Amino acid sequence: MVPARCRGWAGACVLLLLLHAAPAPAAPHVPTDDAAIVEHLPARISSSAERQRQRAEREQLRRHPRELSLATRLAREALLRARRDGDPRELGQAQAALAPWWSLPQPPAPVRLLRAIVRQAQHDFAPALQDLEALLQPGPEADPVPLAIQAQAELTRASVLQVQGRWREADAGCARLLDVRYAALGAAVRGPALACRAELSSLQGQAGRAEAALAVLAHQGGIDTAWLALLRAELAERRGEAGAEAFYREALATPSPEVYPLAAYADWLLAQRREREVLALLAGREEADALLLRRAIALRRSGDPRAAQAASTLAARFDAARVRGDRSHDRELARFQLDLAGDARAALASAQANWAVQKEPADALLLVRAAIAAGQPEAAQPVWRLVQATGWQDARLRAFSGAGS
Amino acid sequence: MSRPLAALALSLLLPLLAHAHKPSDAYLQLQVDGTQVEQRLDIALRDLERELALDADDDGQLRWGEVRARWADIDRLALQGVALQADGAPCLAGTAGPAQLDSHSDGAYAVLTRRWTCPAPVRQLAIAYTLFADSDPTHRGIVRIWQDGRDETAVLAAGDAPHPIGGSGSTAPGFAGLVAEGVHHIWIGSDHLLFLLALLLPAVLSSATLRPVLSEVLRVVTAFTVAHSITLGLAAFGIVEPPSRWVESLIAASVVFAALNNLVPMVREGRWKLTFLFGLVHGFGFAGALKDAGLVRDRLVLPLLGFNLGVELGQLAVVALFVAAVWAFRSAAFYRPVLLRGGSALIAVVATVWLVERAFDLQLGTARAQSAEAAALAPVHLIGHEPLRA
Repeated sequence: MVPARCRGWAGACVLLLLLHAAPAPAAPHVPTDDAAIVEHLPARISSSAERQRQRAEREQLRRHPRELSLATRLAREALLRARRDGDPRELGQAQAALAPWWSLPQPPAPVRLLRAIVRQAQHDFAPALQDLEALLQPGPEADPVPLAIQAQAELTRASVLQVQGRWREADAGCARLLDVRYAALGAAVRGPALACRAELSSLQGQAGRAEAALAVLAHQGGIDTAWLALLRAELAERRGEAGAEAFYREALATPSPEVYPLAAYADWLLAQRREREVLALLAGREEADALLLRRAIALRRSGDPRAAQAASTLAARFDAARVRGDRSHDRELARFQLDLAGDARAALASAQANWAVQKEPADALLLVRAAIAAGQPEAAQPVWRLVQATGWQDARLRAFSGAGS
Repeated sequence: MSRPLAALALSLLLPLLAHAHKPSDAYLQLQVDGTQVEQRLDIALRDLERELALDADDDGQLRWGEVRARWADIDRLALQGVALQADGAPCLAGTAGPAQLDSHSDGAYAVLTRRWTCPAPVRQLAIAYTLFADSDPTHRGIVRIWQDGRDETAVLAAGDAPHPIGGSGSTAPGFAGLVAEGVHHIWIGSDHLLFLLALLLPAVLSSATLRPVLSEVLRVVTAFTVAHSITLGLAAFGIVEPPSRWVESLIAASVVFAALNNLVPMVREGRWKLTFLFGLVHGFGFAGALKDAGLVRDRLVLPLLGFNLGVELGQLAVVALFVAAVWAFRSAAFYRPVLLRGGSALIAVVATVWLVERAFDLQLGTARAQSAEAAALAPVHLIGHEPLRA
């Protein structure tokens, strides 16, 4: 049909030529040398012993797929690896371990808790909350939900609600954890619950008191110091205090720091225009998108030619995620579009989509920056409304409050 | 109980981390030709390592020799994970092609090629996909099928029922829908319309007889079509991507110029050359609308053709109506002062407002053509299929 139209439809003919020039899938290749290294296995699982152990456990699970304690242990380990390395394939491993119960409407309590955590990590917040709330209902007297699982469900629920900007509900959950009925679990619950309440109050106009509360908790000990240091670092950053740096360093003073605190410290360094330190900090951790993104921004800002390669790798990963229908990376995508691709309009759309799901300080800052860059400061109104309604304090937001607030 | 609880509690109170790396995907490409189906399946070496323990010397790195030595196992896994049916009857898998690799955004992939033979010429192909069904429920198969000039994609999960793809005319409504979008786009894209009208107003006055008038109109419309098709293609494929603010501003400027040219003639001869020049800029504007709709390069072939056909049809309809109406009134006394001068002046004023808005990013109260374009294009039907980047 097209050739016949060519005489009358010169435009269509030109297009047809262009279409044939469209890029074809890359050609596969055959390495010439058997000794050539073709793939590095995940860097974090570098010890042979750890790989052997994982293999043995997977084999064991293959033979006994319905053994609850083995399945939940493997799922929990996969979740912790996912958090350390930022690798979503680990979420698949966690789900695989829970497969015999995954689709049940009412799986056993330990499975239900882990299912909720996997879903939360995949940003499926609504079903995650459903599972968590079910665990907090008074169950049948013959088979009550173990207290420790209830506590974990309450904590996890609070963290989901906090991410969604439902601070009052999150705080109510953490307050319940200080109830006498959880007293038997001791500091393992009390510490995180107090820290949770302090952080939430810091977002709502009580930053000074929260800072003191976290300092007391740190002094008392009995709570993971790296995690507490991260909370204090982020609070100090929101208050615009230089002390943030020391807290970030403390949060990262572990043998294999997790992706989240690395990304947060990198952002702080980027805000201080200390790009070279970002490159040193993230060396060897490029496998995580969130970290590759910060590295690419640092490279770009220091005029390093490797920035282009990093940006195109990121673009390819975002593309691959979009192809499979995965929208859980809008925060990173918006940042990429804003700070690397220079496409403010696309960045604003992604930041808005992200804001509909997540409402953390980083998300607010991103939406405000994208709205201003796109020349539509009014698009950041949802952030300013939340700031108004909650008494949210953040020095980084204040710097923009002249525009559109 | 409290030690594992503490470990989890710590990690879970952290703010949630956006996805990094990439979940597991395999890329399945199928080329259907009569009874034959050519397969290319790309599976991540990382996934194969988990399933088959390819790393023989256990040094944390996969060497080509280690992968090649296990190719038969890899191929067996692939054969267990993918089965094809044509119109309900199973197709037979041929022997595996050579061991090859390719890279995707998250690392190296094994490339498995083979030819399938189906009992009869394939009308509708169905894929039973079970790759990694037991070991990773979040794994997806990103499928792309070429059949009878159509190009379709789907995202498959293990455990889905066999996924039928293709069949009689399944893409036709999408294509027609896109043509309709193109027509709609030209009708609501008032800057493109005003540009054409500003050019056609004097064209109809270029002669007293119909034949030269029609040939002048044809020259102008053809120049506009060819020019905007070139830049639409260039921009849509990412070969040239000028900043949209400049494009929008230049489009407004082109309308101002075309209208002013009717009041104070600057370019008299060869109006089609002027049209061609500005048509190039308008093409970038069309591309902006296509991009807003989320279309990407690899999936652009049919959408682009359909959309452009729609634009041309819409444009022709406007031109036909306009030329007929103006021709009927051309001898009326009010034509030159009222229609030509008044109309041109009005167009110039409107376009100047756009120009100021767009160049200085202000909002002066008129509807913004660009956002209207984006809104009109939002429901483009062809992107109902997941677009694929191979």
